[in-house]
This record gives sequence, structure tokens and C-alpha cells, in this order.
Amino acid sequence: MASISARRLRKELNEIHAEGCPCGIKLLNADNFETWFFSIEVLGESLYQGEVFKLMFRFDANYPISSPAVQFVVDQNIQAPIHPHVYSNGHICASILGTEWSPVLSVSAICVTLQSMLASSKAKERPVDNDRYVRTAPDNPKKTRFQYDDDTV
Amino acid sequence: MKVHVKHWSAVAQWRWNTGNNDQDDEGDVCGICRVPYEGCCPSCKMPGDDCPLIWGECSHIFHMHCLLKWLGTAPSKQQCPMDRRPWVTAERKIADTSNNPI
Repeated sequence: MASISARRLRKELNEIHAEGCPCGIKLLNADNFETWFFSIEVLGESLYQGEVFKLMFRFDANYPISSPAVQFVVDQNIQAPIHPHVYSNGHICASILGTEWSPVLSVSAICVTLQSMLASSKAKERPVDNDRYVRTAPDNPKKTRFQYDDDTV
Repeated sequence: MKVHVKHWSAVAQWRWNTGNNDQDDEGDVCGICRVPYEGCCPSCKMPGDDCPLIWGECSHIFHMHCLLKWLGTAPSKQQCPMDRRPWVTAERKIADTSNNPI
């Protein structure tokens, strides 16, 4: 029997194919129900005008009961946005990806939240503890206990 | 084997009595699994009494199995997935429209 996650993700994928992604979001790859890639850009005026980023979603078999691991892709071709909540290794400090996750959220809802996190950014800065975090960060950002101490951005 | 259904005649139809009596409505879905209330949760094979709905005092409705799976995790903090208020299961209001699911 297909896992809970596969059933739910198939529905989300059908919806994306039928209705398209939210503005500024494009599905790049969803060949399986474990890892999906999206491109994301902020439309309209923002500090990230003209920049395109790549998001990676990793799902375990219990999605949506358990949250997906979501991060920006960082490689030779693409960087993570410079943002006070985004580490240079692509990890994102956003409460909905951690303690505030809810199973009624979805992949598109996360994309839209991250888009608005970028859109409302007032300074292109890395998190203050970026270097220390990136040195010791686990591969999977879900293993990190982020402190959500800034609700202004 | 491939079966083609040529004709079918519905003799009865049932729905959970969720207070939404709009007959044209395709039916609401469980916010957790996104399967219609009248379908069953991903862990069950047959819809019906064995895969019932659960009502919260906050008025939100889920497949019982889906909600219990969520409440069984530490990150749920025992909160309703919709409004993050502490989950309190409501007594079913059997008297409001009819005794049976419509």
C-alpha cells in the first residue's frame, strides 16, 4: 500500500499540474515522492529583484503528519538568498518548518510563506551565527533546533 | 483484468452529517489527508463507520484516524491543525438535523 505521504503528495502534485504553482514559483522536479525541487523568485519590488532561488523539499513516509525538510539549494550554480533567516548552506530558520508545522499546510503553502519571508526582508544579511551554524550543521535541517526569536521578518 | 462500467444506478447515498447540507457540494475534505470526509483515511480501506470523523469544539472536522495520528506526535502540542487551539473533541450534536447521516 502506498504510504500516507505518497497519497497526499500525489494529490498536491495533481493540484499543481491542474492549477499551476503560485506566482513566482515553478515546479522543477517531482519524479518521486521523496524529493521535490522548485524555483522561487519574489515578484514585484524587493531586495531580491531578478534573483531566482531553488528550493528542495524532502518528505518522509509520515508527511504531512511530520513536516518536510525544506532548504534552499546551494551548489556551484546557485546560492541561497542572503536573508537574516537563511544560512549560507541553504538551511532556513522558519517556525512553520519546525515547531509551528501543521499537517494542513502544504508544499505550495510553504512556498508562499518563504516567498513572503523574502519579500518582507529589509536587509540582505546572513544570520548572526551563520559561520558557527554552517560549520556544525547537520545535513537535514529538521535535526536543528532553531530559536525563533525574531517575528518581524 | 479491465472492467468497463456501462451503466450504474445509485440506490442510496450516504454522507456524514457535518452540518453542510449543500447537496450539490462535492463534499469537504479532511485537511490532513485531503481525502473527502466520505472517503477513508490513508490507513483504512473502506469508508464508513470504521473510519469515522471527529469533531472539535473549535468546529473543525477531520478523519478521526488522521487527527489521532497528529495528536500522537509531540510537535502537535495537542493542538488543532487548523487554528492551533488546544484540541477538545466535541460531543456530536445528534439532535441538530437528523439522527442519521444524510
